[in-house]
Amino acid sequence: MNNRKNSVFDGILGDNLILSSLMVISPIIICGDSVKNALSLIYAFNSMTFISLIIGSFVPKKIPYTIRIIIYAVISSLVYIPVRWFAVEFYPDSIHRIGIYYPLLAVNSLIVLQSEAKFYRMKKGRMIISLVFYIIGFDLVMLFTGAVREFFAYGTILSKVADINTTVSGLGMPFGGFIFLGLMCGVYRKIRSSVRSGQTESEE
Amino acid sequence: MFIINDIIALLAANLILTQALGTSTMFIAASGRKNLIRTACVITLFTTVASAFTYFVDTLMPSSVRVYATLICYTLIIGVLYAFFLTVLYFFGKEKFNAYKKYIHISAFNCAVMGTLFTISEKAAADDSLRNTVTYFLKGLEAGAGFIVASLFLAAAFKKLNSEKVPASFRGYPAMLIYLGIISMAVYALK
Repeated sequence: MNNRKNSVFDGILGDNLILSSLMVISPIIICGDSVKNALSLIYAFNSMTFISLIIGSFVPKKIPYTIRIIIYAVISSLVYIPVRWFAVEFYPDSIHRIGIYYPLLAVNSLIVLQSEAKFYRMKKGRMIISLVFYIIGFDLVMLFTGAVREFFAYGTILSKVADINTTVSGLGMPFGGFIFLGLMCGVYRKIRSSVRSGQTESEE
Repeated sequence: MFIINDIIALLAANLILTQALGTSTMFIAASGRKNLIRTACVITLFTTVASAFTYFVDTLMPSSVRVYATLICYTLIIGVLYAFFLTVLYFFGKEKFNAYKKYIHISAFNCAVMGTLFTISEKAAADDSLRNTVTYFLKGLEAGAGFIVASLFLAAAFKKLNSEKVPASFRGYPAMLIYLGIISMAVYALK
């Protein structure tokens, strides 16, 4: 039986958004092939998710579930407007490369479907800390994926040519994204189970 | 020969295998074969009907606000359809409503539906001959059919990817991702 207590730090290792729940993986598979794209996606995800979830937490629970879901989606669609506007200023190149995945981040399943189960049952302070760690968990995976795929697929780091003899161009393609994420997911699970069994042994 | 060409075209345009749209939803629904196929069918319903409505948004919206206002308009369309489909299901009886409502909840707001609407809109913006309701409707149906095909691929291997023969760390989701990657590679070769 799993007696593990939920911790506010779970978002990084215990319940990582991408590697554990496979949420918001489309942008990572398609656009997470360079550090620049990764940074742009991180900015968009962080700002839209954080602001939308904070505003969404004020939606009264008396409202029927279906209407609440629609309200969450509308809030994030409205938050998308200023986020996009700033993105045009800070990441003009990546906007075109990311394309339709930019607005899709606004209606990601964490904001629309999972927000109630994961965050809205907590008290506000705890919710914000937990949310920050979930976001950091996403950012770390996104950045790592972008860096590794850019290095091995294109032989560059932050668009500067790196000293690498052989590149695996397939890693920059969607199928490369699927396979790389699958492998990362497996390694993550192995690490997580080792950490948990280590913790159990030390408790005993 | 025509049928083979059509199948290849359908696979090559598949939104899951080529653009990874709706992958998260497919994994949420992947707790069972029935769940997977039913969710895929409901998503097809959403992509088809919503696509027809998005034609009006694309046509009527001024280009100056398109980048910022499209998402909110699409969200409202899906929101209205979400409430409408649940209401229709409610009139089929309480038992059916309780049994099937979860598929509508999962299928409404996700990358598969929203991504389809944006993809069709992008294609129509690039080619004016696609700008009519029927084409939007058919493209939505095609995207949904692609989602069903990808679900069938996953459903076919579901048992083996979750079997004890697969190492514990890779059992389930990781194996499914790698499997989808291999199928996606095959589809890429068809292009």
